[in-house]
Amino acid sequence: MRVAIAGKGGTGKTTISGTLARVLARQGRQVLAIDADTTPNLAVTLGVPPERAQSMMDLPRNMMERQTQEDGTVKTVFTANTDEIISGYSAPGPDGIRLLVMGKVNHGGAG
Amino acid sequence: MRGLIGELVRKDDDDRDIIVDMEAGLEHLSRGTGRNLSRFVATIEPYYRSMEVAKRVAALAAELGISEVLAVANKVRDAGDRKAITEFCAAHSLKLAGEIPYDPSLLEAERAGKTPIDFNPNGPAVKAIEELAATLSGPVS
Repeated sequence: MRVAIAGKGGTGKTTISGTLARVLARQGRQVLAIDADTTPNLAVTLGVPPERAQSMMDLPRNMMERQTQEDGTVKTVFTANTDEIISGYSAPGPDGIRLLVMGKVNHGGAG
Repeated sequence: MRGLIGELVRKDDDDRDIIVDMEAGLEHLSRGTGRNLSRFVATIEPYYRSMEVAKRVAALAAELGISEVLAVANKVRDAGDRKAITEFCAAHSLKLAGEIPYDPSLLEAERAGKTPIDFNPNGPAVKAIEELAATLSGPVS
């Protein structure tokens, strides 16, 4: 499954995301959990130790490039390798889960 | 930067389950964000402001071209809560994917510094999330 979980703050969005990821991982699925919240705390409900979440590297700034098209418009193009990003910048969690934190991306560049 | 999620989530990646914990308000969502996600799940609590946000999530997800938007009721305490959520979902044509009961052990888990599944793997909330996992693993209708 490829699902995004959203909702008002405090409605259990992160608890459900984290527990859902753990349930799937315990069933033997390979799970990638992505924390896209600007105040990231998915690590806690996943059970990724805080020190490990803290030591995660920021995603590289050069994943997206602004390229000028033939018609003169500027387009933001993804130039990085998805697998390299996932393996290089995610933290390992319990039951074999990988956690990727988007909030750590520098906010300069493409919006 | 939100478009990045769309890039990191590949459509052909069926070997892996991907769960994205989105930002509470979806103001920063761009068209690219949801491109390769198959489902959007909006968490709902049985009170007005939470339902209003869920409604907005559903509308935005539809705009972003997400094929399916589902609701999940959370912290459901009684028949009154269930009725409020069922009526809301019916009124806004939202499919209810699951219902998670109010579970005081979640708070205890937090106090103990543990995750819900490690603290109380057989608790009502975790059990309900197992059911949700089964529903979400099914085909997109």
